[in-house]
Amino acid sequence: MTPLTTAPGPVFGRRLPLVVGVAAAAGVTAAVLSPPDVVQGDLVRLLYVHVPAAWTAFLSYGITFAASLGWLWRRRPGMDRLAAASAEVGVFFTALAIALGSIWGRPTWGVWWTWDARLVTTALMLFIYLGYLALRRATPDPLDRAKRSAVFGVVAFAQVPLVHFSVVWWRTLHQPPSVIRPGGPTMDPSMLLVLLGNAVVFTLLYVLMVRARARMAATEDALDAAQDTHPLAGAAVSAPQLATARSEKTDV
Amino acid sequence: MTAARTAARGVVGRYKLLALVALGAAAVLVGMLMFGNLNRNLVYYLTPDEALAQQADYPDGRRFQLGGLVVDGSVATTPQGVSFTVTSDIGPAGVEVPVTFEGAPAQLFGSDIGVVLEGSWRAGTFTSDTMKVKHDENYQPAEDPAS
Repeated sequence: MTPLTTAPGPVFGRRLPLVVGVAAAAGVTAAVLSPPDVVQGDLVRLLYVHVPAAWTAFLSYGITFAASLGWLWRRRPGMDRLAAASAEVGVFFTALAIALGSIWGRPTWGVWWTWDARLVTTALMLFIYLGYLALRRATPDPLDRAKRSAVFGVVAFAQVPLVHFSVVWWRTLHQPPSVIRPGGPTMDPSMLLVLLGNAVVFTLLYVLMVRARARMAATEDALDAAQDTHPLAGAAVSAPQLATARSEKTDV
Repeated sequence: MTAARTAARGVVGRYKLLALVALGAAAVLVGMLMFGNLNRNLVYYLTPDEALAQQADYPDGRRFQLGGLVVDGSVATTPQGVSFTVTSDIGPAGVEVPVTFEGAPAQLFGSDIGVVLEGSWRAGTFTSDTMKVKHDENYQPAEDPAS
């Protein structure tokens, strides 16, 4: 249990937050200076946050998948903590992608939301991983929790390719992929560069968040292990004892 | 020792069973989605050629979504909104459906843009009151001299 023997440092670290801050400032500057789109105009700038948010969500669930497999293979507690932290951050980025997409959709499509395959599968992905987090909260025993959530983390990953290919397999209002597609990107290099740069920013942000969350979880685990007995709710209340001496007399 | 081992095996067996059930359910679901007739309900919009071919299934007044490209130069303003022609972007070329749209068209509406229209047939013309603009996967700078 290393976290208790070393002095607890800041969970976010010292250098990485600076790096993320500088990179984010550069990303925002690039998005503002990039050319407006021939059809959408300035609305295209929302793409530079919406798409990286969605990609980072995919990355999060990919890491959850790999860490879950890693836990099933080697049974290291750190793998379980990484899987959980990555899923939490993934839920954040999924919700962010949906919200930003909605804000883009209103002026572009004319609607905030539509029941097409991409939007529905993305919402489903959000709820599946919320279910993963709920499962973790619902299982008090650490070993059971790790086992169940590792299986869930592996199976749930099937949702990620479903979301990505939903726009290829079904007719949707959402446009098909522009970057991760056979035949190369259908995006002007000047815009693609900004998009990829912002994807790097989001990935750094992801690393920062997951590392902090995994460190907190490690400290929590160490605290749990250091405590011999877990106080139960209501343990402080003693059972009422009414007139012990007299009841002994009458009972016999 | 044997008791512990059988207990462990029991736990593993239970998880294997659970995983098998989950995998089976997932396989059935994916199979249904990909090969089943469910696809009919999963079609987000009909292309102009499908809409014409299935005109008998959608009598006047039955609503569905029609998707396609706005034909260049076909847009005309009417007292209620706009009228234009929609052609297929993924189906066979040359099939066109006349559309009258009642209401304010979407912000990006114009020639050569994808639209998904909600409405119904009315005497051979698709009458719509809800329009969504379908943006495609191409992104180009506005001042690009090549475009």
